[in-house]
Amino acid sequence: MEMIIAGLLDSVSPASLMFLLVGVGVGVLIGAIPGINGPMAIALFIPITYYMTPLTAIGFLVGLNKGAFFGGAVSAVLLRTPGTPEAAATSWDGYPLTQQGKGEKALRMALYSSVAGDFISTVVLIVIAAPLAAVALFMGPAEIFALISVALTVIAGIGTSSICRGLMAAGLGIMVGLIGTEPVTALPRLTFDVYQLGSGLSLIPVAIGLLAFSEILLQLEKIAGKGGGSHAAIAFSKKLEDRLLSFKEFFSNIKTLLRGSLIGIGVGAMPGLGAPVASFMSYDQAMKRSKKKEEFGKGSLEGIAASESANSSVVAASLIPLFVLGIPGNLAAAMLMGAFMIHGMQPGPLLFKENAQLMYGIYGSLLLASLFLLVIGRFGLRYFCKAVNIPAMILYPTVVFTCIMGSYLGKSSMFDVGVMLTFGFIGYFMRKFDYSYVAFLIGFILAPEWERALQQVVIISEHDPFMFFQRPVAMVLMALTLFVIARTFWVSINAGRKKRVEAAAAAAGQHKSD
Amino acid sequence: MTRIKRDLIAYLLIVGFCILMLSWAIPEYTPAYPGYGASPALMPIVSVGVILFMACLSLIFVGVSLYTNKPPPVEEREFPEDLDDDSGFTQVGRVNLAHLASIMIPSVLLVVAIEYIGYMLASFAFLLVLQYVIGSRKWLQTIMVAIILTAVLYVVMRYGFGVPVPGPQIFE
Repeated sequence: MEMIIAGLLDSVSPASLMFLLVGVGVGVLIGAIPGINGPMAIALFIPITYYMTPLTAIGFLVGLNKGAFFGGAVSAVLLRTPGTPEAAATSWDGYPLTQQGKGEKALRMALYSSVAGDFISTVVLIVIAAPLAAVALFMGPAEIFALISVALTVIAGIGTSSICRGLMAAGLGIMVGLIGTEPVTALPRLTFDVYQLGSGLSLIPVAIGLLAFSEILLQLEKIAGKGGGSHAAIAFSKKLEDRLLSFKEFFSNIKTLLRGSLIGIGVGAMPGLGAPVASFMSYDQAMKRSKKKEEFGKGSLEGIAASESANSSVVAASLIPLFVLGIPGNLAAAMLMGAFMIHGMQPGPLLFKENAQLMYGIYGSLLLASLFLLVIGRFGLRYFCKAVNIPAMILYPTVVFTCIMGSYLGKSSMFDVGVMLTFGFIGYFMRKFDYSYVAFLIGFILAPEWERALQQVVIISEHDPFMFFQRPVAMVLMALTLFVIARTFWVSINAGRKKRVEAAAAAAGQHKSD
Repeated sequence: MTRIKRDLIAYLLIVGFCILMLSWAIPEYTPAYPGYGASPALMPIVSVGVILFMACLSLIFVGVSLYTNKPPPVEEREFPEDLDDDSGFTQVGRVNLAHLASIMIPSVLLVVAIEYIGYMLASFAFLLVLQYVIGSRKWLQTIMVAIILTAVLYVVMRYGFGVPVPGPQIFE
């Protein structure tokens, strides 16, 4: 009990509150800018957190992520250009409302749904994470090794249409993550006699390069030489009923909102699915069950509630596998895992045992972040709307320069800037050639832990290759790994076959009509 | 070039990379087995092995597809200009090497130049070039953005975080 009170008191210290507030505000602002999302913002701001206490740093980054999730809805509603992929479903109903002059009402619905979904999900995280972590403590290295194997195979399917390319990306991420000092011999491995590689590649330059710099390279491709330009001015209706959201309007969608939150929690707690899946699933369910199906896609507040409650509830729910098992469920959780490691903590079941006070402090910050999001969103909505009009000529040089200097900031090393540029270059090709940079990054982060678990298994079992068969949970997890790979292959082969049959049928039809 | 041919070249390059890693890099730059635990080379070999296996499998898929001459899906018949949609879900598309070079070369030059001429001058010049590449032709705005960004980052690093900016300093 003392730990809980001490942790909660830490979360309301002036420094924690200030950085949490700044994190949420900056997150909403960044999320509102099309093309910049939560994980990218975390990558850009992690270097700053070097200079904060662990609680302030994690609180700041969590606030940033929560803010960015709602911020994504701003450009989705106002411009039909989702700031983040998960906000795409929000744009389907938000933008038609903007065209009717009801953009502010749509944004208010998005805000309240986001806050509600996020709050419910945070409460679920607080209630179930610690008991689950206590169970997870019984897991040995064999189970951890098997669990990471499952996570890597599930995650390999994210962000690519091919499981083969996903596994190649994860394999490359693991290989890059193994560069540095080998844990058993304490000798350099795969360093190619470059002394800066002796301690391995830092997460910050790799993440900034893959997430932020490569994304900017792609976005600049579209606008380079065209001068960028701003979007057309957004007109809000001056009528109060078009601007404000009544209690009746909000509460008439409460069922959809709760359903969306539950879908978001379920999806977020499972590694590999991510917020866009939750958002689309919730929207689809809301449309199927709605009494006003015909309004969907034309400006339905219910559609916005479904999408926003689901995608925002993924934020806290994705921390469940991270806190319980040390497995990041999505990119944002992977970046937060990196932040934990930078501050000397290893996410996983031991986190609750070794850093109980900090964990309760983080819980306090998570709850406060929901409150700050409500307050900042409520009073700053009109100002955040202006963020969508930041000229490209100012935005992109700022982001590129921040990427470069942010990479330098971590170790005050220009070598890290070179690493960032290298991974920006690699990330550009990965995106263009459909190789999952998400799988790469998660493989990179999990590689040392995976190897440590394997080394422990080999040492404990004295090289017994049947070690996994003696541990039922590990055996089930390894079988699950094989099942996931086989199933994904089967699904992708079938999808390819179906595509070809359709293409052949279309070609035959074309031939006949000719 | 069709997408399927581009993928074919990529897979062949990946296979070559894996062979190089397995035959030279891993044996050369991995410590010898100390006699306990797993070999330090095991995990690198496993990860490269997975990449190699998947690349070979992909090559087989592509080979079968080309050999049987099945009509490929629409997007594989002719490489699209840009498959990207506004939602940002997919960014698969044609590589624009000229664009890539126009951003990467000034960035690499910045890293080199900063060590010789210092942060202020190198950053200012880099930001001018970058804005020009993006398409900015309003010189006053371009110069102002370059000056302000350079100064703000300097103040944040030097006084906010107490980190010395890279390279020789003209004001110190």
